[in-house]
Amino acid sequence: MNATATARNAAAVAPADAAGTREAAASPPPVVGVRGLSKSFGPIAALTDVSLDIAAGEIRGICGENGAGKSTLVKILTGVYRPDEGSVLVDGAPAAVTTPRQAQELGIAIVAQELSLCPDLSVEDNIWLGSLRVPFLHKRPELRRRAAETLALLGASHIQLDAAVATLSIGERQLVEIARLLTRDARVLILDEPTATLTDVEIERIFAALQAVKRDGRSVLYITHRLAEVYTICDRVSVLRNGELVTTVALKGLDRAALIELMLGRPSGEMYPEEARARGAPALVVEKLSLPGIVDDFTMTVRRGEILCIAGQVGSGAAEIIAALAGLVYDADGRVTVNGRPLKLGSPAAAARRGIMFVSGDRAAEGVFRRLSVLQNLVATRLHDHSVLGFLRGGALRKAAARLASSVGIDRRRLRARAEELSGGNQQKLAFGRSIERQSDGVLLMNEPTRGIDVGARAEIYRLMRSFCDEGYALVMASSDLEEIVGVGDVVITLYRGRQVGHYRRSEVSMHRIVADITHPRDATS
Amino acid sequence: MTDQALPASLRDAWRLRLPFSRRGRVLVAIRFAALLALVIVAIMTPGFFTAVSLFSLLNTTSFIGCVAVGMTFITLSGNIMSFALSVTLSTSGIVFIATLPLGLPGALVVAFAFGAAITGIQGAVVGYFRANPIIVSMAALALITGGATLITQGQGVYPQGEAAAALKGRILGIPMPLAAFIVTVVVSQIVLSFTRFGRQLYMVGSNWRAALAAGLNPARIVLGAYVAAGLCTALAGILMAARYSSGDLELGIGYDYSAISAVLVGGTAISGGEGSAIRSFIGAFIIAICQVLLLLHGFSTQIQYLAIGVIVLVVIMLQTLADAE
Repeated sequence: MNATATARNAAAVAPADAAGTREAAASPPPVVGVRGLSKSFGPIAALTDVSLDIAAGEIRGICGENGAGKSTLVKILTGVYRPDEGSVLVDGAPAAVTTPRQAQELGIAIVAQELSLCPDLSVEDNIWLGSLRVPFLHKRPELRRRAAETLALLGASHIQLDAAVATLSIGERQLVEIARLLTRDARVLILDEPTATLTDVEIERIFAALQAVKRDGRSVLYITHRLAEVYTICDRVSVLRNGELVTTVALKGLDRAALIELMLGRPSGEMYPEEARARGAPALVVEKLSLPGIVDDFTMTVRRGEILCIAGQVGSGAAEIIAALAGLVYDADGRVTVNGRPLKLGSPAAAARRGIMFVSGDRAAEGVFRRLSVLQNLVATRLHDHSVLGFLRGGALRKAAARLASSVGIDRRRLRARAEELSGGNQQKLAFGRSIERQSDGVLLMNEPTRGIDVGARAEIYRLMRSFCDEGYALVMASSDLEEIVGVGDVVITLYRGRQVGHYRRSEVSMHRIVADITHPRDATS
Repeated sequence: MTDQALPASLRDAWRLRLPFSRRGRVLVAIRFAALLALVIVAIMTPGFFTAVSLFSLLNTTSFIGCVAVGMTFITLSGNIMSFALSVTLSTSGIVFIATLPLGLPGALVVAFAFGAAITGIQGAVVGYFRANPIIVSMAALALITGGATLITQGQGVYPQGEAAAALKGRILGIPMPLAAFIVTVVVSQIVLSFTRFGRQLYMVGSNWRAALAAGLNPARIVLGAYVAAGLCTALAGILMAARYSSGDLELGIGYDYSAISAVLVGGTAISGGEGSAIRSFIGAFIIAICQVLLLLHGFSTQIQYLAIGVIVLVVIMLQTLADAE
């Protein structure tokens, strides 16, 4: 089976070569490339005839909507999937990348999203753990010196070699992970949405480290939905759409709207919805909410029809406030009323009874039931409304699911698919659809509503949020994406280390103010 | 389009979702090949299709099958399995025999309530305290065995009068245990597919945190799953005690292992949220057929144990491979 695959690969190299050489002519010799890559899953073509090259010392962005083929490409490069057609080239020669281990030996390394470090071991041990270069008899001083050197190269000499990884921040762990890959002679580092859970300061550090990697002559493949980051860190960007490579362009001189248009295949239109049309009575009043050790004395009022954003970095307590209002924090304390009626904190069921609906940002852990069908996911919270004496009314449930699917823009033909077969954007719509419409004076809570969601689906989610608010919902969301906060918030509350810093209406809010508030330079000594 | 009229969980009990990946398809193919091989061996084995062996096959399967269906509720709820169902079976039988002086209906009610209660308590501990279900069931095994031995002095109990004889007969020509097993499967599948509780059980088993966030009460649903398991197991215990005209702690030994084998071979996911009572029904029969075949070919009981062990290992390996997709 392997032999035929190789033969097919070899045949596919020829026609795509022309495009490859043209691209290569303008830049240093490619380290890694792919030629004529195609991969289907059943009837769905995830990649079709993709060819690209990554030059030595280049930071290449990969952009595209969810389902554009980014992760399939990465998985082929790292040996997780085998392509149906086409081949991977290393230093210009076809290479067999059939297992993750082979990929590592060829110098292609991925910085895992769920970091693959052992929390209880020291930084140094983690860097060398499982490395083929560690001889049977350890040359400890030498290994130690090289680990220190690698960290220094990344501008991370402040990380102690003897510290347990568990004591490091997520950003620092990512640096250790990168160091680990560099000591294994990784020549191409692949990062997939590395910044989603990082604070701004940490993001800066990662970027500095990537620049150092670049100066060292190695290459980086950078995948993100945050376009601002693409512009900050990348030299060129390859845009994928529906499994095909649209183009590879230099970022200099390419404006943002043009990039989005390349990704979507159409003009983007307005990303963010208009301001709230009408504001009604207070729907959710929070007084003196405190979460021991996290949030202190938090107060806010959310009106009907309004989107209130709580802005804060990871760890600021913004996400925890949302979780607490959803009843998911057991030691939360404070006075909360929904439509004038008091809410008992610490019970999700009590919150649901008051009309509070929670859409988690962590879809895998709290959002969708991956193994259940789209239909079952959509009606998960409304079984009570469609059952008689404990027996479900199948027809009513199907109708309800179909209606919800169309109101959040999920193809009704996919009702029977498993939730895990949907893209991230569609899964988020699923979680959204599940939470709406139970009562039109409800309160929607959202945590990072568009984490890991592409530009196209993002605009759709924002539109949905706005349209439900127009119908009378009040919406509270926590986000660490500043653009999003400025874009959708009618009211913005900024948070720094569990304390409220500022409170702005839409007309008063600016990126600059929010950044100043949530990083709080006055005592940001750490 | 008649397909549309069935809820997804029931449809999935029949329909095999053909995976996209090559590996997934290979795994499905392996399962079918194994089933086919089993059928061929059965056909070629002289004496398999005789009334005597089929009859004994159905009877033994019925007891294990009831426990397996009970176990299915626990597995679906995301709590893997319980080691305490074997003693639940035997102690329910003992309680049934001991309370027969109350009359048959009274004894049935007490025995069912007993089974539901001792399993339900485990469910409450697992659900509300989120304790490790395996450890809880092992502790329950020790507690129930100890308590029962203390009370019965390790002796079997024997019925006074013939009140239990009614459970030894046939209904419409079907032996009582088999009839009870079929009813258990049908009722359980209806509960799983058509009731709110059933649907919520799949949700909790699929993703506890998401169920919590969706406003469900996962602990109560887990408790419900354990109570259902207790009821199914008590039924097996009652019928067994009636059949052997005695209640004895020895009766259920090994049944929880056989039951979990049936659940896994039937294709219910060990990680919860996926599976059905019908699958466990099929699984129980596959295991029983294997045992009968080995017996007819003259292999000893020890070899049968080995074979079942190998089958369970292979099945769980296949399942893990399929999950790793």
